[in-house]
Amino acid sequence: MNPLLSSTRAQLPDPALSRRQLSDSASQLPAAVDSQSNPSKHAYTPAPSHMDPDELIDVRLPRAVQAVYLRPLRRQAEYGIPSCDLQMRSYSVRNLEFFADFALRAAYYLGLPASGPVPLPRIVERWTVPRAHFIHKKSQENFERKTLRRLIQIKDGNPETVQVWLAFLMEHAYYGIGMKANVWNYEKLGVGKTMDASMEELKKDLDSKWSLIGLSRKDAVAEKVLEMIDKKTFMRGREGPKTRIDPLPLNPPTYN
Amino acid sequence: MSVPRSRLLDLMKVQCRIFSHTFNPKGLRLGNHVLRQRLKGPALAAYYPRKMATLKDLRKAYPEYEMIDEDEEDRLESLRIIKARGKGAPKKKRTAEESKKAKRR
Amino acid sequence: MSMFRAKKLDLGCFVNIRVIRDHTKRKVFAEHEPERQALRYIIRNLSLPASTRAKAQLQLTQMHCYTRPSQIRNRCIEGGKSRGVLRDFKMTRYNFRMRALAGLVPGVKKASW
Repeated sequence: MNPLLSSTRAQLPDPALSRRQLSDSASQLPAAVDSQSNPSKHAYTPAPSHMDPDELIDVRLPRAVQAVYLRPLRRQAEYGIPSCDLQMRSYSVRNLEFFADFALRAAYYLGLPASGPVPLPRIVERWTVPRAHFIHKKSQENFERKTLRRLIQIKDGNPETVQVWLAFLMEHAYYGIGMKANVWNYEKLGVGKTMDASMEELKKDLDSKWSLIGLSRKDAVAEKVLEMIDKKTFMRGREGPKTRIDPLPLNPPTYN
Repeated sequence: MSVPRSRLLDLMKVQCRIFSHTFNPKGLRLGNHVLRQRLKGPALAAYYPRKMATLKDLRKAYPEYEMIDEDEEDRLESLRIIKARGKGAPKKKRTAEESKKAKRR
Repeated sequence: MSMFRAKKLDLGCFVNIRVIRDHTKRKVFAEHEPERQALRYIIRNLSLPASTRAKAQLQLTQMHCYTRPSQIRNRCIEGGKSRGVLRDFKMTRYNFRMRALAGLVPGVKKASW
């Protein structure tokens, strides 16, 4: 069994662990924050219960809040096996950049190593139409639509955590942004046997899915073919060339 | 070293069974491409936007609220003005049968 | 044909008789597509006896013309016109231009390059 392909590896660290990692990485953001957001020097001192308002202004923001002003934090991928590709599309750069940033932060706090956002080539579509509603083809106007794309890849993600992440993004979907995700799951070796075992349970659910797929076992067209060939008018032709071809009227003739 | 044709055919047969292809060694026209085509009816039928709920429906659903349809009000007002000037449309015969009867008499 | 038409108008776009007719044809085609495909399969399958195939041919040609996909034509959802309709927006070129200039079509701007 290939250890790399096993999905049983726990991706989401237990709460205590994640807190430690958080504080670790938060202590790495350090000097820059201090010099920008509060120029007055301090290391962390527990605030006494009675403080005068002047001093309150100088209190350092929590690390998590400081991080909002900086580039999104990232986790290191241990194995680098892709588990989810999220593509976001929009016509406006601002929305897209903002939401990509949001998605990266969400991935960080869920403990998912994310890479990106990769700016994929933008799609430019152009249309040329005459200005007038009738003739005058010599005077035309050009329109265009630029679709911008960003790709965020999650590596080494626990499938459940990835689902949580995607659901979170769906819940906080931003206006003017379309998303699509490719999710990969990895199985242990010997998939066939486990699939065979689960096949019986899945059978009920599968039939409803099969009916949605064009190339299904319960193909609407194929069923119709069988139904038609079994009909009397077609049965008559079964014997082959020896039967006389008579132009049988399909609708029974009406006698008045 | 040559492999007999029958053996190859057997192999083909098994291959077709496993991957659920049609076993057709002679290349006969069996029309299977028609079965493979996707049905495009649903996509075509979804071309025009379907009717959404109108103000009328809203009124029917919530008779306790008062809703104003401005376009409708405008239309009715202009009709009132036209009628006041005596430029309105003539009255309609109530039914086709009645108008016929009236002619016969 | 009025027997196929919906009893109550089910369109939310610009409506005239040609639009209603085209919409009806689309629905009728969607309904009868499996049957048409079945007949086409029988016609194209050379392993079936000739008379079966001939009958299938006859039956296919005798189906109502509304069940034919070639009767369907994309029309403008803003004005019902059938010519010069941009497939991407389902609108005629002029309607598209007016709406694009008014900023009503998402993402579309005047281009210059």
